[in-house]
Amino acid sequence: MKTRILTLLAVAGVVALACGSSSNQGATGSTIVLGAPLGLTGSLTKESALTKQGYDLWLDWINKQGGINVNGTKHPVTIKYYDDTSNANQSAVLMQKLITEDKANFLLGPYGSASTATDAAIAEQNQIPMVEANGAAQSIFNQGYKYTFGVLSPANKYLQGVLDMAATLNPKPTTIAMLSADDNFSLEVAQGIIDYAPTKGMQVVLYKKYKNGATALTAEVQAAKAANPDILLNSGHLAEAIAINKAAKEQKLNAKIFAYSVGPSTPDFITSLGKDADYVYDGSQWTPQVKYTADFYLSVADYVAAYKAKYPSEGAPDYHVAESTAACLALQRAIENAKSLDPKKVRDALAALDVTTFYGKIKFDSRGINVYKPMVVEQIQNGQHHTVFPADVADKQAMYPTPGWDQR
Amino acid sequence: MAAFAQLVIIGLLAGGIYAAVGVGFGLVWGVLNIVNLAHGALVIIGAYLTWQMFAVWGVDPFLTLPIDAIALFVLGYAVQRGVINRIIRAPLLFTFLLTFGLNLIAVNVLLLIFKSDFRSVTTAYSGAGLELGGLVIPYIRLAALGIALVMAAVLAILLSRTRVGLAIQAVGSDRDAAQLVGIDLRHAYAVTFGLGAAVAGVAGGMIAMIQAITPTAGEPYTLQAFVVVILGGLGRVSATVVGGLVFGLVEAFGQSIPGSGSVFANAIAFGVMVLILVTRPQGLMGRLR
Amino acid sequence: MIGMPASRTWNRIFVALAMAVIAYAVLAPLSSLDVLQSLGMPLLTDKLWFRLATITAMFVVMASAWNIIGGLTGYAAFGNVAFFGIGAYTVGMLITKARWPFLLALPLAPAAAAVFAVLIGLPLLRLRGHYFAVASLGVGVAVGELVQNVDFRGEPLFGGASGLFLPILAVPNRDLYFFYLMLAAAAVSIGVTWAVLRSRFGYGLIAIRENEEAAAVIGVNTTAYKVAAFALAAALTGLAGGVFAQWNVFIDQENSFPIGYNVEMILMALLGGTGTVFGPAAGAVVLQLLIQFLSGSLPITLQIPFVPDDAMPVLAQVVLGVLLTLVVVFAPRGVIDFFGGRSALSIAYLRRSLRETSI
Repeated sequence: MKTRILTLLAVAGVVALACGSSSNQGATGSTIVLGAPLGLTGSLTKESALTKQGYDLWLDWINKQGGINVNGTKHPVTIKYYDDTSNANQSAVLMQKLITEDKANFLLGPYGSASTATDAAIAEQNQIPMVEANGAAQSIFNQGYKYTFGVLSPANKYLQGVLDMAATLNPKPTTIAMLSADDNFSLEVAQGIIDYAPTKGMQVVLYKKYKNGATALTAEVQAAKAANPDILLNSGHLAEAIAINKAAKEQKLNAKIFAYSVGPSTPDFITSLGKDADYVYDGSQWTPQVKYTADFYLSVADYVAAYKAKYPSEGAPDYHVAESTAACLALQRAIENAKSLDPKKVRDALAALDVTTFYGKIKFDSRGINVYKPMVVEQIQNGQHHTVFPADVADKQAMYPTPGWDQR
Repeated sequence: MAAFAQLVIIGLLAGGIYAAVGVGFGLVWGVLNIVNLAHGALVIIGAYLTWQMFAVWGVDPFLTLPIDAIALFVLGYAVQRGVINRIIRAPLLFTFLLTFGLNLIAVNVLLLIFKSDFRSVTTAYSGAGLELGGLVIPYIRLAALGIALVMAAVLAILLSRTRVGLAIQAVGSDRDAAQLVGIDLRHAYAVTFGLGAAVAGVAGGMIAMIQAITPTAGEPYTLQAFVVVILGGLGRVSATVVGGLVFGLVEAFGQSIPGSGSVFANAIAFGVMVLILVTRPQGLMGRLR
Repeated sequence: MIGMPASRTWNRIFVALAMAVIAYAVLAPLSSLDVLQSLGMPLLTDKLWFRLATITAMFVVMASAWNIIGGLTGYAAFGNVAFFGIGAYTVGMLITKARWPFLLALPLAPAAAAVFAVLIGLPLLRLRGHYFAVASLGVGVAVGELVQNVDFRGEPLFGGASGLFLPILAVPNRDLYFFYLMLAAAAVSIGVTWAVLRSRFGYGLIAIRENEEAAAVIGVNTTAYKVAAFALAAALTGLAGGVFAQWNVFIDQENSFPIGYNVEMILMALLGGTGTVFGPAAGAVVLQLLIQFLSGSLPITLQIPFVPDDAMPVLAQVVLGVLLTLVVVFAPRGVIDFFGGRSALSIAYLRRSLRETSI
């Protein structure tokens, strides 16, 4: 209770400051329309809801500032959302609706790699910039599209940080069992590990692919147990991460490190698994403990406070939320730099963007993906997320090795 | 050898759940000639009931299973009596259209109530299990298999030994003749659907203990129920149980194929099914009708 | 019932409505041509119109094609999406790997789908009723999975999970081009249905639907007829998939083998009326417009008072479910039954159909 009051006070302070700085500005320009189709119903509802939170958090803030500053004129912002029922072909229809009927000036990304790829093609054909935060698969960025930008570190980096961290631990773990869902994002994550492990003196002793979205993964975990790895890695999504962790406990697979690409960072992982979630690592785009100095927008601490105030039942924001906010920030700064709402000029400004935010560095390579921001490693300790690597942003030491299931 | 035995155990334990899901689906299909696309939704309603009672009121999940059964029976009875009975004489595929609509309603009402958060029932004994000579048997999955078998046996006895069961069987083999001998068709249909829903609800309660659930988590189970019922053979509870266990085994062994083999788990399961259908259309255990 | 004045009125309204829709679909896109634009013609179709119309035409093809095997022959195929995906991947592979021009690759899409249908049809079509339905569903699921995961010498054979990115086709008036292409596919589907229904082949199919043993007795080669019907349905569905691949630019397992489309195409055919020439097409247009209306992509959108914005999309899905349920309960022979002039829409009609189908 006490922390909540403190949080509210902190946010009130931020808001008061924000209002103070904006009240003396003059002209108000036309409203800037942004848009995104999201899976508000259907199979991607959870992830889409987190994405929407990230977008909305920025929207509230920018409008309290009076809007985006273009050449001294403040343009208020609206974001139009549509429900694509988690269906990529419907996402394409709604993208076109946003561009044609709603006259969206710029686009934000949907959730899901098929939707992102389809929508990238639409953005390209209509020459409207799309900044996306939820498609880390590099295949989308290897098409030579000029209007799609991703604020994420690419997929192959997702779990490499875990190996960097593992190399510093004592006794050093050396064998890896790699389980991966068969969607393009997860396979790129896994391939990143297979390429990277030898450079850290580690060996992938098992690599198995399973069906994306599978919840019956006991036999996979059994195969991993037979390989007796020091490190169990999974690249998949939340549902599969929970299933793998449950199966690991049932099958008494005792690895020294359990690390999953996506899943452990969300509050649902902890609420679903209780104390069995402890000791699990994940590669994360962002954590509430990172120590970046923001050029603009909120500091990391204020961001976390603002999130908790707007969504009091959700705990701390996870990286899906933060990266979605970051997509909005990239767009905002690019519009400001372009001093124009012209899509081509903003596209060029996005390509030239180089800023540091609460989320870290945002700068795009020639393909439009943000390769300049490092990934961090998170561990769940006593039901709380803590950053454990790299050392300069860590708030806790890694709890290593993970005790056997019988000793917990 | 140990790995082989462990895979058999994994397959059978998973198969128990598939059998529990399939039994209700097969009953409704076999007797009422309804392909119930909302079956997975019924399963997930059961799962959310168990989760609600466990997480909010602290009831042990196994104690919630009878409540799931009763609640889902009432729901199933009402849906059949109030809605599905109204089109039961329409061409076959229309029940399919109708249950698609019902599924859409159920899933999205769940989404309104419970949001899209992942939920799971995690108790003190979750994940714990027996260890026998290096083989692992998790308690919850073992109990789930036992409950599935008992439930199927009770259902089979109910159908073959009780008045209501015989009425259901009569309806299944000849609707008009059943009506002529004085069976209340509306009631018999509703009871059948209610029983199917009750079994689905219990299956859902057990699923909440072994995996994380969301409002859309039931849809894969509808697909699997299709396969399970066909594998075993339509029309008998025991056959569906065998179908479920076989499906669990096929899945586990499919997943154990090294490398990328397990991504073909569905293709293998469906391939086996198609093969059985083509060579033995009455299913593994079924009789020709 | 034909000959009742009321139903004849409905029939006329329906025909007039259908003609107006067709004329609008065929002629309106022309207003986007540069020549007419420069003459001051108001723009009747924008990019959104084209996307909606193209996807609707795509469903007209799929529902009409399903009707040939499901409606005329009585075999409830649940896996037709496999043919859509095979068509899409045939075009996708020929363009990305073999560098074929699109128009050369397109005819191979229906051909590949038809060949596949013959191969699986021979064993599968020996099954009856539900068994055929489930087996075809299995094929639909398995083909998508294989396309995504089959490797050849360590490399994904069909682009793998990353899918295939086709080059954006450089043609003038691209939207118009793809819409007319898909519309042509829809016209072919409806035309083929019309021709089949008037042929000896069509009578054979209906004989099989009504009583397969009797059909064999009167000399119908049931296996050949069934396989031919299946292949015809596959070819048309594959054609839609082939156009889709180049139109959508990106294809992968998720958008080319969506299991949900199996259900949707059947829903459309049932809604419109199976076994008829125009029923599935009408059902496709009606259901697609309803889906688009509820997801907010049409100019008119759903407004429900006192509902927070966040809950609207979920409620829209509930509304869709309720509408489907109501249609099935009150008009279980499809909307075409009264629009098509076979009977008049009235309270008495609704009560009668309710009484006929309930126990």
